[in-house]
Amino acid sequence: MALTQRDWNVLARRSRNIRHVQMGLLVGFLTIVSIPVVLPFFWVFVISFSARTGGVESAVLWRACGVLVPAVVAYVVVHLTFDSIRKRLFGAAVLILLVMIGLIVTVGKDLHLHNYRFLANANLIEDLRGAATAGGQFPWVWEAFVNSLLVAASSTLFKVSIATVCGYYLSRFAFYGRSAFLQTLLILEVFHPWMLTIPIFLVIYWIGLLNNLAGPILVLTVIDLPFFIFIMKGFFDAVPWDIEMSAMTDGASRRQAFRHVVLPQVWAGIIAISVLGFIRGWEEYVFVTALRTGNSYWVMSTYLYYVADDVMGVDYGVVAAVSVFYMAPSLLLYMFLQRNLTQLTLGGIKG
Amino acid sequence: MASIELRHVSKHWGPTIAVDRMNLTLEDGEFVAILGPSGCGKSTTLFLLAGIYAPTEGDICFEGARINDVEPRDRNVGIVFQSYALYPNMTVLKNLLFPLRFKNTSNEDAHARAMEIAELVQIEDLLEREPSQLSGGQQQRVALARALIKKPNLLLLDEPLSNLDATLRLTMRSEIKRIQRELAVTTILVTHDQVEATTMADRIICMKDGQIEQVDTAENLYRRPDRIFVASFVGSPPINLVQGRIDKTMLVAGQRRLPVSGNTVSTNVTIGLRPELISTGEQGLPASIVNIEPMGREILYAAQSEIGLLRFLEATPQPRLALEEHVHLKADPGDVLFFDTGSGQRIEGVRLDAFS
Amino acid sequence: MMHKQRQRQAVNALIFLGPACIFLLVLLVAPIIVDLVVAFTDMAQTVRVSEFSNEQFRKIIRPNEDTWLGFELRGSFYRALAKTAIFVVFTLTIFNVTFGLLLALTTTALPDWLGGTFRAIWLLPRMSPSVVYALLWIWVIDPTERGLLNQVLINVFGFGPINLFIDHPMAIIVVANGFIGASIGMLILTSAIRSIPQHLFFAARADGAGPLSIVRHIILPTLRWPLSYITVFQSLALMVSFEYIFLIMGPARSTMTMAMLAYTKTLAPQIGSGQYAYGAAITLILIIIGVIVALLLYRLTNMKRLLAKPRIEVH
Repeated sequence: MALTQRDWNVLARRSRNIRHVQMGLLVGFLTIVSIPVVLPFFWVFVISFSARTGGVESAVLWRACGVLVPAVVAYVVVHLTFDSIRKRLFGAAVLILLVMIGLIVTVGKDLHLHNYRFLANANLIEDLRGAATAGGQFPWVWEAFVNSLLVAASSTLFKVSIATVCGYYLSRFAFYGRSAFLQTLLILEVFHPWMLTIPIFLVIYWIGLLNNLAGPILVLTVIDLPFFIFIMKGFFDAVPWDIEMSAMTDGASRRQAFRHVVLPQVWAGIIAISVLGFIRGWEEYVFVTALRTGNSYWVMSTYLYYVADDVMGVDYGVVAAVSVFYMAPSLLLYMFLQRNLTQLTLGGIKG
Repeated sequence: MASIELRHVSKHWGPTIAVDRMNLTLEDGEFVAILGPSGCGKSTTLFLLAGIYAPTEGDICFEGARINDVEPRDRNVGIVFQSYALYPNMTVLKNLLFPLRFKNTSNEDAHARAMEIAELVQIEDLLEREPSQLSGGQQQRVALARALIKKPNLLLLDEPLSNLDATLRLTMRSEIKRIQRELAVTTILVTHDQVEATTMADRIICMKDGQIEQVDTAENLYRRPDRIFVASFVGSPPINLVQGRIDKTMLVAGQRRLPVSGNTVSTNVTIGLRPELISTGEQGLPASIVNIEPMGREILYAAQSEIGLLRFLEATPQPRLALEEHVHLKADPGDVLFFDTGSGQRIEGVRLDAFS
Repeated sequence: MMHKQRQRQAVNALIFLGPACIFLLVLLVAPIIVDLVVAFTDMAQTVRVSEFSNEQFRKIIRPNEDTWLGFELRGSFYRALAKTAIFVVFTLTIFNVTFGLLLALTTTALPDWLGGTFRAIWLLPRMSPSVVYALLWIWVIDPTERGLLNQVLINVFGFGPINLFIDHPMAIIVVANGFIGASIGMLILTSAIRSIPQHLFFAARADGAGPLSIVRHIILPTLRWPLSYITVFQSLALMVSFEYIFLIMGPARSTMTMAMLAYTKTLAPQIGSGQYAYGAAITLILIIIGVIVALLLYRLTNMKRLLAKPRIEVH
């Protein structure tokens, strides 16, 4: 079947068309399904910077979208038409400038930082809701912030170091009962602490750590621990045996070989589970409320929960601002380390 | 299909340039090898031809028509990958039938063709096996059969033999050559192994850093390499290269001055001389043996002479010379190649008058 | 010499394995055992046990000779079971599996920067704190014209406002959990698709396969195990999860799944009434389901790789 020049030209045109249609369909589908996911986040962000008092406003949201949506579309066009990085960056810079101007013109006069005054004013929430409602004294937001930081950071530290040493031992050491241990761990992976909220509460109560920040910290350490151990074991499995063997023939003990040779190979895994662990600890709500009676300690989740409960009818702007303030660390961390997170694969699944 | 042409084709991956402004024309039914060290862009060239990569600039033409945008499925090319890339979830037969699924071939025709091709590559007994149950050589045959079953206009082989052991490589080399001759399909073989390239291909494209160094027959690459890189990459053991300088009618190399003639220009040169073209005798360049490497049938000596270190081969099973022994090296002065050290280009028309 | 080797082995085990063992024993294994015991007591608000009985299970099951099995489920538990089944089945099939698969397939088909952007958007709900995510939902489906959903419905589609809290409460929790479930499915399947050797895609394209054929013949066969994993593991995760349901719907009866029932009867802030034994009984049922899931998961695990022997024998 000898094709002539014309046949090839027809084929080339058809291929080009098909490719454009396919690309269009894919991007179209993903854009449509992604709008419901991203719009609420953008909304609460806009509210926090624009709401004056009283009700939820969305006029500002739609005006901002009117500027941003064309800009995003324009950038996609720029990215697809230009191949060189410099041209793309230039296009992006021009678009960002246009967006800035557009936003200043359309919503500039509505933007303000008034809703974020809770960061400086310790008694704001109390003032807003009036002193009459039940539920104890609201602390300054920074107290909850520090507590949340403490809970998230220390549980992450525990969880990651335990998962790392345990994952290494399971990956690299021959010991009696290794298979049994791994299989038990596999079963334990199934028992999410959510499922065991009640008996875990009883155990913490009997230990005597109720109403103490140590309670949630300890429980958070166990959440996802078997899962993290498997992830770390997977990372250690991937480190070539040769380098450890050569470290040992060079005179290192196994513990030294672990510290100096193997550990530096698995930083990607450690960073990834640290981010996941921190985000998990930062958002914790169920166990911080289950393991306290009354308001013995405040963290960000309970702070936001009760602010929303008490102030919602009075001042949406403040609630939105607290929400943005609360989720900012999680999202920033996630954005910076996204690349590390996508490297995670499931430990042990066939495939 | 009469002609396949690359016109000024480049492929960039971000800042790195895999293929750099390449021009190439292939004749119908020809067996061409692309030879080069790893990372020189030879596999990229293959995938550009298959349509899996799109060129950053330049045109790929079949029959004179620009086909940059034509999908791989419409180009009718068959590829054999280094890893064989057999579909793990399909039996050998299903692997073979897969390409025909998209060609509107009737069921009987498809099976008939599968049998025919299986016979050609001698895998009739394996049709019901899963790829994971096959040895490397068998997988290789299946991959070849799958590439050939749709009667491709162009067969592309990406390092097809590099995962096989030495003896199997030998058989597959002649097998592939036989099959290619039987089907008369235009074939491009990508390899870093010069023996594979020289034994199988009609023409060899020698590549380095994304650029073509020389396109020629195996013999010409060996005898008249255009550039230093080709001279050093082709031939085993590698060619002797000695730095020197042409000074009017003299070649100055080391402490030695040798007379040259022809259209000489004073410049820095690299001279090349194949180890197999050097022998020892009563007269010639004085040297002393510094290393002896028995290579089975032959022995590779290294000798320090006044122009520099020279290796030479002797076809005796036992070493005849001893370490530190003084010898005289002989060679036909016409066999000495001159290269411009700066550009790497061979200098024609310069001749060594005497090698001593 | 032998003695010393033995000693070092013991010290190593203590250092590397000890902390994990303590945490897992005290906060995972012990609670399971505690639950087994407490489920058969009358423990309530005072956290004291006065007698052992099967009283809690009589709140769940009632003997009834007329029915086929010889017993029937009590109304509140029966409703919770049915709601759990609806919640799990719909969320899992629509979002965790189907949507997760669609997102993984479409984002991996795009250039990396674009696909990665869409994946990042879909991970937003998972990465943002649960209380914020729930709050967003409450605002979006606000039954008045101020809710984002109602604004879109009124201004774009010309009808509404609708009150999902009353009309479609189950839909709320299915979609809210589904957004998160889809992102988990997407992550697992994306990494499975990524681990398919590139050459297989190249070979299939050269063999003439279009995008749909590649999905069918190259991608889907390799997703068999990850998809089973998602189905098995996520069905349990959904069954026991109550955080988003509670935060969005509160203790509403319309979305009272089994896990919610156990939570609201015991520890839920302000409304939990401390019926620990009853909660433990429901938890026991979830634990039993968990064991079944664990056994299924067992079959999905590549034991050879998991249990591959270490190659250095000294300690």
